[in-house]
Amino acid sequence: MNTTLILQQFLNGLAIGSVYAIFALGYTLVFSILRVINFAHGAIFTLGAYFTYMLLGARFGFNGVFANLALPFSLPFPLALLVGALLSGLVGVVVERLAFRPLRTRGADPLLTLVSSLGVAVALVNLIQYLVGAEIYTYPPRVLGSLPAAVNFGTSTLPVPVRTVQIIIFAVSMVIVVLLTYLINGTKIGKALQAVSEDATTASLLGIDTDRLILFTFFLSGFLGGVAGTLVGLSVSINGPYFGISYGLKGLAVIVLGGLGDIPGAVLAGFLIGLVESFVPAQYVAYKDAVAFALLFAMLLFRPQGLLGRAVVQKV
Amino acid sequence: MNSFLLISMILAAMLALSLYLPLMAGQLSLASPGFYALGGYIAAVMSTKYFVVTGPFPVLYLLAEMAAAGAACGVLALVVGIPALRLRGIYLALATIAFVEILRVLSLNLEITGGAVGIFGIPQPFSDRGSYLWIAIPLLLLSMGFIYRLERIRTGRAFAAIREDELAAAAMGISPTFNKVLAFMLGAILAGVVGALSAHVLNTWNARQGTFDSSINYLAYVLIGGSRTFVGPVVGGMALTALPELLRALADVGGLPVWLAEFLRNGRLIIFGVLIALGTVFFPQGMVTPELLARLFGRRLRRAEQVASTQPVDHGAQRR
Repeated sequence: MNTTLILQQFLNGLAIGSVYAIFALGYTLVFSILRVINFAHGAIFTLGAYFTYMLLGARFGFNGVFANLALPFSLPFPLALLVGALLSGLVGVVVERLAFRPLRTRGADPLLTLVSSLGVAVALVNLIQYLVGAEIYTYPPRVLGSLPAAVNFGTSTLPVPVRTVQIIIFAVSMVIVVLLTYLINGTKIGKALQAVSEDATTASLLGIDTDRLILFTFFLSGFLGGVAGTLVGLSVSINGPYFGISYGLKGLAVIVLGGLGDIPGAVLAGFLIGLVESFVPAQYVAYKDAVAFALLFAMLLFRPQGLLGRAVVQKV
Repeated sequence: MNSFLLISMILAAMLALSLYLPLMAGQLSLASPGFYALGGYIAAVMSTKYFVVTGPFPVLYLLAEMAAAGAACGVLALVVGIPALRLRGIYLALATIAFVEILRVLSLNLEITGGAVGIFGIPQPFSDRGSYLWIAIPLLLLSMGFIYRLERIRTGRAFAAIREDELAAAAMGISPTFNKVLAFMLGAILAGVVGALSAHVLNTWNARQGTFDSSINYLAYVLIGGSRTFVGPVVGGMALTALPELLRALADVGGLPVWLAEFLRNGRLIIFGVLIALGTVFFPQGMVTPELLARLFGRRLRRAEQVASTQPVDHGAQRR
């Protein structure tokens, strides 16, 4: 493997890793507050990609209720990404209302939310299929305007071309990570989030409106899922209503690797998995999907507290 | 009702039981689809490569494959279970999801499993699918009977003790590791046996059998059916397998508006998902609870309980 290829793979790894990171942040935010996993997150990821596709003014295919329909207007990509992600955030709020709040108010076993959120995910994925069919959707070719397809990171004699899309993905993800870090550490609502994740009962005794905060967390989580879905859709394509499932699973590997509920850990683990995957040798590329899970399995056995975590003493 | 649906329902009930077994010892393992897939591959490879016969496939061979699949899954469960069962709660669930995914990627890429195409033309012991009921029904009854007995002997009691409070159970001299691994192995064996049978029923086997979705489906069977008695998973597995077909059948009932019939036919999985969500919200204990069983069947049981509960009171009266 020569230097050019290594550099190229490294940059690809950073791009895909940054998508894993922001997607996994959506899981981890919910986990840090509620100690449960939202299985509908993968479905929201898918939905986000479709929202952006629709807002770009692109036409749907021949199947489903929305066959051959398109919006009468078309938004520029940055705006479509933002509005698509906001809509995904709203879906996150709906998921909380339908699958999480009813169980929480009844004081049911938190385990049940795995199944109720799965039910919502099944409904969402099949709703997508019902509305727009199961075909592959590719974002319109001119979506990035007049930007070149690739940028050369090397010299003219030793070119290291990297797709512009990858650079955009990396940049968008980094902006989101920075904003989120500020939101959590620098604002009042972020402090409240930290307080609830530390101890929900005490936080509510101190006058923090836990229910509203949970709703906000789900909005944020859905927003992140929507952005991640759009970025993957932009980079590859929307591979049918089920394309969120494999990312949903990888996201689980990422958050465990980072330590469940650990925000910097999730970002680090996202990059780690992205990079390791992009350096899988070509002859083993079919096993690429197993890498994240092998790491997850090993991590759980040897260091269950996550990359950055500290061991917690089991209390009786 | 067609016999294929009936067989699917019975297989689903047993897969739900395979998840219920580790849950008896309080362990949320989602590894069943992995063992199910492995069992199916074992049967598929054995019957297409080694047990090549002319004419109908002997039932005895099928039973031998089921036994081999169960044994192999039991051994694998022992190897995986000892390190993995040190994990608790959601961490164990995630580790078992990782296990299922690793097996899936392996089966997609190995030569012996037929890669992405899978294995075709698995020989049939019967001329019609309905005859599989002669194996499926006894197998279900056998596993239900096994669990019924298990809950009433020392090992089952140990499982229950660990489920209630692992620390207290350990203090009473019950080995948590031994019992947790045993429960995990029993579930794996059942899933493997069902996989072997299923490979023959379906006639083909590939990497789409036993994926992450099925993990969660089985969990839905158990939790919606009811996780506090083994009847719950059986009912849940059967009901949730029949539900999409029921919706489809409903669409064919005449006199419905066209859009509604169309929605029932093509959007039935949307309804299915919503019903799963609503089912968890409205029946957090599941459809079948021990109390419900006691009310339905337990007149004798209740009388026995009354006798048991009156006796201590009598003792107290005497002492006073």
